[in-house]
Amino acid sequence: MSVAWVGSQAVFLSDAIQHAAKLLASSRCPVISFDADVHGTRSVIALAEKLGAAYDHIRGRELLNEVALFTSHGGMFTTPGEVRRRADLIILVGDLPASHHELILSWASAQPDLAGKQSRRWFHLEGGEAVSGGKDAEGELSRQVKAVILSAEAASLGTAVALLRAELAGRRTATPITNLDSLKKALAEADFPVFVFSGNTEEPTSLAMLQGLVADLNRSKRASSLFLPSDDAAWGAVLTSVWMTGFPPRTGFPNGAPVYDPERWDIQRMLRDKEADLHLWISPGDEIPAKQGRIPLVALAHTASPVAGAAVTISIAAPGIDHDCVAYSSRTGTFRATRASAPSDRPAIAGIVRQLAQALPSGEAESC
Amino acid sequence: MKGLTFTLRAEPEERLDLLALTPDRLDGMSVAEIARLRIGTSRKPASVGDLFKIAGKDASRIVFDGGSAHFDGIGAGMSSGMVYVAGDAGAQAGRKMRGGAIVIEGRCGTHAGSCMAGGRLEIRGNSGDCLGGPLAGEMLGMAGGVLVVRGRAGDYAGDRMRRGVIAILKGCGDYAGSRMIAGSVAVRGKVGAMPGYLMKRGSLLFDRRPEALSPTFIDCGRTDIAFSGLFDRYLIEDGILDKPLLGRRPGKYGGDTAVLGKGEILFRMGG
Repeated sequence: MSVAWVGSQAVFLSDAIQHAAKLLASSRCPVISFDADVHGTRSVIALAEKLGAAYDHIRGRELLNEVALFTSHGGMFTTPGEVRRRADLIILVGDLPASHHELILSWASAQPDLAGKQSRRWFHLEGGEAVSGGKDAEGELSRQVKAVILSAEAASLGTAVALLRAELAGRRTATPITNLDSLKKALAEADFPVFVFSGNTEEPTSLAMLQGLVADLNRSKRASSLFLPSDDAAWGAVLTSVWMTGFPPRTGFPNGAPVYDPERWDIQRMLRDKEADLHLWISPGDEIPAKQGRIPLVALAHTASPVAGAAVTISIAAPGIDHDCVAYSSRTGTFRATRASAPSDRPAIAGIVRQLAQALPSGEAESC
Repeated sequence: MKGLTFTLRAEPEERLDLLALTPDRLDGMSVAEIARLRIGTSRKPASVGDLFKIAGKDASRIVFDGGSAHFDGIGAGMSSGMVYVAGDAGAQAGRKMRGGAIVIEGRCGTHAGSCMAGGRLEIRGNSGDCLGGPLAGEMLGMAGGVLVVRGRAGDYAGDRMRRGVIAILKGCGDYAGSRMIAGSVAVRGKVGAMPGYLMKRGSLLFDRRPEALSPTFIDCGRTDIAFSGLFDRYLIEDGILDKPLLGRRPGKYGGDTAVLGKGEILFRMGG
């Protein structure tokens, strides 16, 4: 089975790598979109640094607001283990991705063994507008954990969080919020209330408002929040990028040193505005990259055939399926090893990207 | 002495970092030294001489004859002098400027006037998001000076502002004045959703009642205070507006009560 193509022509892997390296070395402004495990992400960032390129996760737009919570606001965060064992009051905030429902339900089926009361109460702060995941799934989650619903008429999540914060601080609002007295009573009785939330792409400032609410509560008692990323694998890439460069994705190396700028290094914008002149796409997912105009595309994809329009296509393995990998897990709040579910001989992202970096002509590959 | 003029030869392919081309930094440099300054940000970066024809000598008056959305950091950090751009500018124009004046004839990208502390930045076209706001990781926004946008501003205008005046003449996007600590943002035209979200203090001044306001702003009715007349007079005398923005006895909302709640939204009311 072929694993490498130049255009639509099957070639040896080494030839495809040489061809891709020549394109990268001759480009003025190469950009990299990627989705990889820890080893793959590390190799991608090392390549970007060597090239003087910019990189972004393929879900960069969705990650932006989650990252902004940490870069622009900050907050108080706890771990899933602490929530499971100590939280005697859990307030779910907005729509949580369906991928986390199983984790949340597992808390509902166990008591907090390190909490004083060994029992747990649940609330759910709802926004008025459905976002991804759907209201039905969210309503089912609330029913299963027997959560008391907090909501305000026609209020978006950002509005609902603002209302809750104002009400809990004893300040006036123009709209009431349902079951507020129950929450106040539960908060007064709780030893460790935790707000569980995910990135809200519709209203990123609501995340800052929520953290303000948690900070307000901490003036009189211990309280915290648990962040559940919308995509565990993508969040793992963010953390890997932070430990390698100090910055999350949407980082570039314009002068050899990393520079984080979420607008400037928005890869899709750079392609649209023709600032980039070569697009390196690296993803083992199902999504097929689209060639943007005349900008050459080098695709590292989980594919058995060449990607339409790509100058070079190299078939790569899917981490956790074709080979063992290390990936982020919200269940533990850290990285964990994952066994391959269907081991294969397809080349891993990290191996291909390292070969690409080695194939770069040393003089031209140095970043400016 | 003629002002230092940079005439754009052709639209640049790469984004340019023009931090170095301010009156403060160019003072005392020869044309040859200026031409060698590297301003490109790609792997094959251009220098000033590659992209601009340079004329004139007075570095206190800089003219960009021709603009581009790729011109980032125009006048950033300047403390005196004048910069004029006969065209568009990119991101972060006037960022952290402390004095002097910048005039941009065309449109501007994001973070124009970001964290500026003094001087005057006038944008005659539209501006992007986060007007006057901080970059990722920065805690404070605009800290002084006057920022005028004669077109429309994007979302988050005046984010984390703590001093100074922003005037926007053709409306703005959502979250105007978000996380404000102090200062004044005046907007003529349609204002987007959630103005003043998370504002602690400061003034948002509109020529109409805001349509989509957080319920953590409380209607305070009409006010009869000297400030509205004083501020209207300032806007007219400074040449920013030709008619009063607020008029007599404007309406008022107080908020954001989710935070400190000492901010205000004043708006023109009929009658």
